Amino acid sequence: MKTLLQLSAVTKSFGAVRALKGVSFDLHAGEVHALLGENGAGKSTLIKVITGAHQLDGGSIEINGERVARLTPASAHQLGIACIYQQPALFPDLTVAENIGLRLEPMSALRKVNWVTRRQRAKELLKRIGAEILPDAEVRSLSMPEQQLVEIACALGAGARIVIMDEPTASLTHKEQHLLFAVVKDLRASGVGVVYISHRLEEIFQLADRVTVLRDGQSVGTNKVSEINESGMIKLMVGREVSTIYPPSESETGNVVLSLKKLGCASCGVKNISLDVRAGEIVGMAGLVGAGRTELARVLFGIMPADSGEILLNGQLITISTPKEAVAHGIAYVPEDRRRHGVILEMPIAHNMTMAIHDRVFPGAWLRCGAEKQIALDLIRDLAVKAYGPEAPGGSLSGGNQQKVSLARWLATKPKLLILDEPTQGVDVGAKSEIHKIIRRLAKEGLAVLMISSDLPEVLGMSDRIAVMRGGTITAMLPAKTDAHEVMAVALGQTENGAAK
Amino acid sequence: MHTAKQGFRAILLRHETILLFVVLLEWLYFNSVGPRFGSVDNTFDIMRHSVEIGLLALVMTPIILTGGIDLSVGSLLGLCAISFGKFWRDAGMPIPLAAACTIGIGALAGGLNATLITWLRLPPLIVTLGTFSLFRGLAEAITRGADTFTNFPASFLFLGQERWLGIPAQASSFILVSIGIWLLVHRTTFGRSFRAIGFAPEGTRYAGISVERRLAMAYVLAGIIAAVAAIIYTSRLGQAKADAGMGYELFAITAVVLGGTSIFGGIGTVHGTLLGVAAIAVLNNGLVHARQSREVAGMLTGLLLILALTSSIIPKMLASLKTRRQTLATKPIIT
Repeated sequence: MKTLLQLSAVTKSFGAVRALKGVSFDLHAGEVHALLGENGAGKSTLIKVITGAHQLDGGSIEINGERVARLTPASAHQLGIACIYQQPALFPDLTVAENIGLRLEPMSALRKVNWVTRRQRAKELLKRIGAEILPDAEVRSLSMPEQQLVEIACALGAGARIVIMDEPTASLTHKEQHLLFAVVKDLRASGVGVVYISHRLEEIFQLADRVTVLRDGQSVGTNKVSEINESGMIKLMVGREVSTIYPPSESETGNVVLSLKKLGCASCGVKNISLDVRAGEIVGMAGLVGAGRTELARVLFGIMPADSGEILLNGQLITISTPKEAVAHGIAYVPEDRRRHGVILEMPIAHNMTMAIHDRVFPGAWLRCGAEKQIALDLIRDLAVKAYGPEAPGGSLSGGNQQKVSLARWLATKPKLLILDEPTQGVDVGAKSEIHKIIRRLAKEGLAVLMISSDLPEVLGMSDRIAVMRGGTITAMLPAKTDAHEVMAVALGQTENGAAK
Repeated sequence: MHTAKQGFRAILLRHETILLFVVLLEWLYFNSVGPRFGSVDNTFDIMRHSVEIGLLALVMTPIILTGGIDLSVGSLLGLCAISFGKFWRDAGMPIPLAAACTIGIGALAGGLNATLITWLRLPPLIVTLGTFSLFRGLAEAITRGADTFTNFPASFLFLGQERWLGIPAQASSFILVSIGIWLLVHRTTFGRSFRAIGFAPEGTRYAGISVERRLAMAYVLAGIIAAVAAIIYTSRLGQAKADAGMGYELFAITAVVLGGTSIFGGIGTVHGTLLGVAAIAVLNNGLVHARQSREVAGMLTGLLLILALTSSIIPKMLASLKTRRQTLATKPIIT
């Protein structure tokens, strides 16, 4: 088997931080090699070394058997290395064909664009990966997975032999995942080497041939996927045995906190929602992306106010037309997109944590830095946030710790109802189980929790009841002990039952 | 000890500190060139001439912190000056009442900006570009481009031309507004919210903060202070004309940006803005004493702004160049 890429004892430091401490990694032609590790283990740095974005300090890189001394983004591109990121980096206002053309056509200031060949090439590339995307479609109008497919088409068009995929399925639905997997398998069959990064272990079993685990900047083992099981992988990742991934439910449910009666919001496609959430209860919300789960959360938080139906909180009929009103009623919402909505990355985490309790902590609007710092320190300790202090900017934290800051902001409001939207998306295994424990503890303390998640094992493992949404409404309420297939079948709807796994 | 030394270096390299040195350098240079430059009279002259632009720069700071801009403040100063004259001369109001009504006009005009920006969600640049023309046009229409208001009572001219407690009378109101805006931006949750909006408007909304109300506050405040500046302007010159405050908005924005406030929002200080105002005011006055033409003042202000903006980037560039040279030196290139 031909070795496409060989990294030997690669080291890389940023100031005093040693991000890579001698990582070795190889990639054969026609294989999918998964790269696993907690956030901060060095995966991103390793990718940036391979794509030429970072220069290595020590060790060597061989591509196609030849040693490369200085890899730059341009030379990496020439050597057939392509990277597909979680967030596709396309121009949203240009068409698919234009985006592909910009990547693949030679650059010069005075060049006549041949629109016929540009469209033709785009069409062929998209056809090769089986994507049903029109070359003339504006990228803005495409869904996230469709944009990823366009990226893959670009990589193919550039003749990439080494394709790196960084958490490609983070925002995909189940069905879209299958489509992507088929494309990855095609790539493998055509002799391309794929470096596949994901936090979802089940994907690695479905897709990968080998898996390398990184921990603290070192490769702790490369195994054939057929020769290792899930708990073995987790043990390698965290360096300890993680016995039960989901903490058991131990709370008793109390009174109905939130009661929705035929709630609807025409402008956001949510209709006829009836649902009760009790104190101490975790209600999981399953469904495909686009089923209206996040939209429902936005209605409840006043970002897109409801236009029909009723919301009762502790038996009282209330209206919510702005987030400020929602907060005043004791509703907290930890949003899906933590980098845009959950945490203000440039601001210190202490400021982030008190943002929703300005009125309470700062009477008369005067800042009290001492009180604020104390609140932040308490929350940092309570949720075990890893940061160098309350004044650390949100952006300096890892994904899991940013999520804890976002959660801390809302715990500080002492809410009655906590809405969590994808609470562990893009969070590493260690932080994920910590967040799960926190959610359990909150429920035990009597909080009503509504948890939206596309991570099916998470919904199954955490929920006391599961609401399944489809087409903007709740189509089924399932008990805690439901198996994944049943939830998927309901989420996909009866007609698509055959398509579900 | 090590950290104390580093902290000192950080303060030394801070934008405001560098700017303070720039102002001092300007002062020392012009003092050596122009014989009358350093006199008490001239210092008070600089103060008198910079109060109106200073006031506009002060209220521009919170707006730019939110990531917005207000191009209409100079025109509004003109409209308010005319309104003040009308209220006093034609409506026969006593000066204090006329001043109060003028401030009302300023608040209304700021409210118009705020409404267009928050309700219709139009970009501040476009909205205030529109009201920039609108307010000036109104001022010219009211006076038909020819009417001026003069012969104000001496008690009113005191505010702009005499001394009170040993300093120019208007300087005391400027100090008061400076303290007020500084407290607002640096010591209240409003200032915190302005920054948050500048960094992430959607993120601020998701934290349960009413972004619309905060923005409205910043723009209405700008309108009110523009009216105050109009009254001081009228008092200083002893007349109100439709072209009052022409181009002041650009001086104010220059002072704010020179003072280290990021035009993208989120980052900036009120004391930085004050130093920015001082740097421009000393430069403009000093060049007169150095017998240079007004054009030179414009050129040098522009150069100063560009230098100030690059000064924060150059140390970073030097640092990255240094590390690159190091990696090149240690890594032989093999191909």
